[in-house]
Amino acid sequence: MHIPDGYLGPATCAVMFAVMIPVWYFAFKRTGEKLGPKEVPMLAVLSAVSFLVMMFNWPVPDGTTAHMVGGTLIAIILGPWAAVIGVTVALVIQAFFFGDGGITALGANCFNMAFVLPFAGYYIYRVLEGRIGKIASSAIAAYIAMNIAAIFAATEFGVQPYIAPGYCPYGLNLSIPAMALAHLVTAGPVAAVVTATVVGYLEKSRPDLLALKKIAPGVTE
Amino acid sequence: MESWLKKTLIVIVILVAIVPLGILGTWNYGDAWGEWGEIQDPAHGINWAPQAYFGAPLPDYKVEGWDSMLMASVGYWISAIIGIALTMLVILGIVKAMEIAREVK
Repeated sequence: MHIPDGYLGPATCAVMFAVMIPVWYFAFKRTGEKLGPKEVPMLAVLSAVSFLVMMFNWPVPDGTTAHMVGGTLIAIILGPWAAVIGVTVALVIQAFFFGDGGITALGANCFNMAFVLPFAGYYIYRVLEGRIGKIASSAIAAYIAMNIAAIFAATEFGVQPYIAPGYCPYGLNLSIPAMALAHLVTAGPVAAVVTATVVGYLEKSRPDLLALKKIAPGVTE
Repeated sequence: MESWLKKTLIVIVILVAIVPLGILGTWNYGDAWGEWGEIQDPAHGINWAPQAYFGAPLPDYKVEGWDSMLMASVGYWISAIIGIALTMLVILGIVKAMEIAREVK
């Protein structure tokens, strides 16, 4: 889901950065105010885990690959604002050091994987948690959030043939089915299993770690 | 060190140890959809390459020229270790900077 340089036209790149600037501002502000002594090392190691799980590429039946992100897991444990910071840092390092995801596309990649994904995952989890339990809701949240993020990415590069010729040559008719397939059958299930395994382990062995302060909109304490 | 932190770091070490599976499992298989360097797709009449604007020290988590399965795995290990170390350092640096900013205020 890391959009490379050269796929998005200048207008799309600019809009995505413009959207992310206030998101980053609030994420830093809220995380800076709320992160306690226990949450700091938690965010550091979860961000490292996010970086690492993105290196595990899985085959997709159509001959491409996909990977999970870890954004829902961070959002469930520390809240979505903290996840914005954690995944953004991983994506910035991937872009600058490893050329994974373009630097001009960093706004778009952060929007999809560091903003849409953790916020979607967090709210799906919160809605389902009281009804079907933590394990099932974390699996469903991770699965759906992964797919929503993939559809956003597919839309961003799939609109380029219509608005910015010379950039991504594939239109929405090809980009959306391909990205949906990859994430419905491969990255989504992987994210669901990994997220639910960690949440299930924490629920059983360390419920205190699932009860850490959540850095989320509307959560005052 | 708290026990959960120790356990998480052990999990990270295990993940780093097996991280080459992330490339070996998809060796010569194909990139992620839409992450190609160039596209030759006569079926859709497309012959296109994206503009690359910037270089990176370890592009595609690879050391230049380390192309065999074994050497690519070593490069992937090196990339994983550098990547997680940088990620943790940047997060801790950001937290420190935010603490300083709060104290100044």
